Amino acid sequence: MLAISAGGVIVWIVWVAAGFACLASGVAVVSFRNPFFSSLALIANLASLAVLYLLLSAEFVAAAQVLVYAGAVMVMFLFVTAYVGPRREPPWAGGPSWQTIGAVAAAGAIFVEIVVVIGLKAGGRLATSPSVGSVFGSPGWIGRLFLTDHLLAFEITSIVLLVAAVGGVILGSHTRRSNARVDAAGEAG
Amino acid sequence: MIPGAWLCLVAPLAGTVLILLGGSRVPRRADAWVGTLSVFVAFAGALWSFFALHADGSHESHYSVAYTWLAAGKFTVPLEIIVDPLSTFMMLIVSGVGGLIVLYSIGYMDGDDEERRYFAYIAFFVFSMLLLVEGGNMLLLLVGWGLVGLSSYLLIGFWHERPSAVAAAKKAFIMNAFGDATFALALFVLIAHSNSLEFATSFATAGHLSQSTVDLVALGLLGGAAAKSAQIPLHTWLPDAMEGPTPVSALIHAATMVTAGVYLIARTHPIFEDAPTIALVAAGLGAITLLAAGMIALVQTDIKRVIAYSTMSQIGYMFMAVGVGAFSNGMFHLMTHAFFKALLFMTAGLVIHAVADEQDIRKLRGVGSVMPWTKWAFLVGAAALVGIPAFSGFFSKDPILAADLHDHWYGVIFWVCGIVGTFLTGLYTFRLYFIVFPGEPSAFVREHHHRHHGKEGPWTMLVPVGVLTVLAALAGWIQFQPFWEPITHWLSPIIPTEPAAEATNWDDAITSLIAPIIGICGIVVAWMIYGAKQRLAVPSIPWLQRLLEHKFYFDEAYDLAFYKPAVATANLFRRDFEEPVVLTTGTDLGEGTLELGQATRKLQTGLLRTYVFFLGAGMAVLAIVFLAVR
Amino acid sequence: MLGPGVAWYLGIAAFLFATGAFGVLVRRNPLIVLLSLEIMLNGANLALIAFSRHAANGAGQIFALGVMAVAAAEVCVGLGLVVAINRRRLALDVDEFSELRG
Repeated sequence: MLAISAGGVIVWIVWVAAGFACLASGVAVVSFRNPFFSSLALIANLASLAVLYLLLSAEFVAAAQVLVYAGAVMVMFLFVTAYVGPRREPPWAGGPSWQTIGAVAAAGAIFVEIVVVIGLKAGGRLATSPSVGSVFGSPGWIGRLFLTDHLLAFEITSIVLLVAAVGGVILGSHTRRSNARVDAAGEAG
Repeated sequence: MIPGAWLCLVAPLAGTVLILLGGSRVPRRADAWVGTLSVFVAFAGALWSFFALHADGSHESHYSVAYTWLAAGKFTVPLEIIVDPLSTFMMLIVSGVGGLIVLYSIGYMDGDDEERRYFAYIAFFVFSMLLLVEGGNMLLLLVGWGLVGLSSYLLIGFWHERPSAVAAAKKAFIMNAFGDATFALALFVLIAHSNSLEFATSFATAGHLSQSTVDLVALGLLGGAAAKSAQIPLHTWLPDAMEGPTPVSALIHAATMVTAGVYLIARTHPIFEDAPTIALVAAGLGAITLLAAGMIALVQTDIKRVIAYSTMSQIGYMFMAVGVGAFSNGMFHLMTHAFFKALLFMTAGLVIHAVADEQDIRKLRGVGSVMPWTKWAFLVGAAALVGIPAFSGFFSKDPILAADLHDHWYGVIFWVCGIVGTFLTGLYTFRLYFIVFPGEPSAFVREHHHRHHGKEGPWTMLVPVGVLTVLAALAGWIQFQPFWEPITHWLSPIIPTEPAAEATNWDDAITSLIAPIIGICGIVVAWMIYGAKQRLAVPSIPWLQRLLEHKFYFDEAYDLAFYKPAVATANLFRRDFEEPVVLTTGTDLGEGTLELGQATRKLQTGLLRTYVFFLGAGMAVLAIVFLAVR
Repeated sequence: MLGPGVAWYLGIAAFLFATGAFGVLVRRNPLIVLLSLEIMLNGANLALIAFSRHAANGAGQIFALGVMAVAAAEVCVGLGLVVAINRRRLALDVDEFSELRG
């Protein structure tokens, strides 16, 4: 009992910390003027989310989050931020005057709506969750699901990644100079 | 007799259709002859039905139904014609005189670019008039009534490049439309009470209606008759109608269409007998018209207008006759009037045609020396018109006056009006004669007169004039009241003379003595003023002169009463409603749409963020909607 | 389950999502817009994982992995765009690309 209650207390504390970090870093991402700091805040956000996933018995997803998201995607972000260089962020509330107020209203509305919808539709049933076995969320279990129930999603996702890689390369290549080289070769040949 | 009647009705219509179908491929002369022959065929049909009816001896109305034209519940109107003494009488006059006049038109309209259209219209007119007189129920009568109004409009405005002709056509049509409306209203009352427009049922119904209702019906019919026959107050269209070609004036505005009102009153005489007040009004209108028209004719300077006012005046006589109940006298005068009035118009047409279309009598003097035959024809017509004994007018006009004399105390007033009218008739007719025909030709005449291959006109014009001259001279001998009265006997089964209007021998004698004498007095006065070597000067009464020249200011009064308020109302609407509301609405709509577009344009900022925002906002709204709906 | 109920995780997810939306709508630097987009995706992921736990169904976690992969792909392309813009010496400001302005 004590272990459980002690485990329960620890879970609560971890939850509060991770939750707070998540929210704070989320706000930080949209608030910093320097994109570098925003990227760092996003990394903190990803880490706290990984903790939350762990609390939800999604170990593999948490690991993937840290490895893929924080490890690869954010590194890419930091590369490009560094490449683009330091720049003065223009004032962040530009454009039509109704834009900011509208944005606040829209965001607020979205938040309220999500809460209200979930509260209305499933409020009662969300109080208690069934307990799951230890295999739930394990890599083996995820792998088996990928290769049996959700094979199609798995394959299509891989195609999407391929296309994105090709697209990224094309977008990043020096197109004008390569065309000029081809023309010169064509005239000489 | 029935096939004859149908032949009579359909032949002119067939002529019109043939001319229309032929188009411009057919030579103009051929179309002219098609039109003329169709009317002659109609005359043959009329003769056939007349003799058949006469041989039949039954003296009742025969109906022939083609099919049921209108059916609305219990109210049905068949397409039927009536063959009885009255309708055959009218058929003969319309197709006979009509045929002669259409033959005359061949010569008169020769060379006109739109000759085919003319003959199509005039054949159509003859058809419409025959439909009017042969119509077997009130509605078909009204149909014919309307169609003759249409034909009149088309023919008055025949030379449609002339604005005066177009205006005259419109005036005639609109005034007649007023009469048509009152006629139709009378028919509505009859339908409301009897659910049928057959003659017999309508007359029977009229006997059972309250006095005021019958008076209304009779008044409606009288309105139509007065408009069609150009009686005061609906008379102002007739002088203007002289804008049409002279044969049109002869046929429509002398012999046939304008007499339709008299025919209507005669045909529906039971209704008028039930509404004696209105019949009296009819007679009164006739009396007033004959005097007023006679006076106005004294100052006219256009040949055709003098004759037009004369027509108005003579129809006033006919209205006086049918108003007091002497129906057959009125119809007899209708017949002789058709002869001599058409003759007068046609001789005037010969003159006009020979002197380069000039109609102003002040320029035409001494025409008789270059056109002697025309002069004698005109003289015969004029004598018939005035009522010189032995000519046809004498035999037809005097019995009307005699019937009036016999009829109550107001009959005497009508009689006096008629006698004065005779004086005026002699005066204006022979004023016209003495100005135009005798003496030395004027410079204008010498300059412009031309002969047609050595004769006074083509044979197509001379032959009808000749025939009518004979008729105008001798046709009156058919009936000499009270000695022999075949016409009255022929018509009496259908339109018996009212007892109050049966003239005594004494009335006949007095009238036949006094009326011609007064007429001759008029001729003598005319001779003294216009014809004698020592001319009598006309006393100068400026206000009277002006009153007559302005035709008693009727045109000005109608202008003030109807036209100006209508124009003012229209201008009011245009200024206060159409311009600020209707016209600006269109432009406002356009401008408003443009402004709306400009405002909407502001949403297209081109910024990515805006579009994402709308995405998000739309999603939020949709979520609310789905929440609320579910 | 230990700790707070699933509903609390969902609340965090909703807040993250709204914050990310706000960032997308308001910020002008495309890099930060992309970052905000990532925040939104992560909020969705958290909701998926929470429901997966609540329903004891693995499909939610599979979906979340798929989202992560697609997010990676999208970032790849988006950053490629940023690089291309930078190479052409254009201003790195989403408001500058307003050729759709009506």
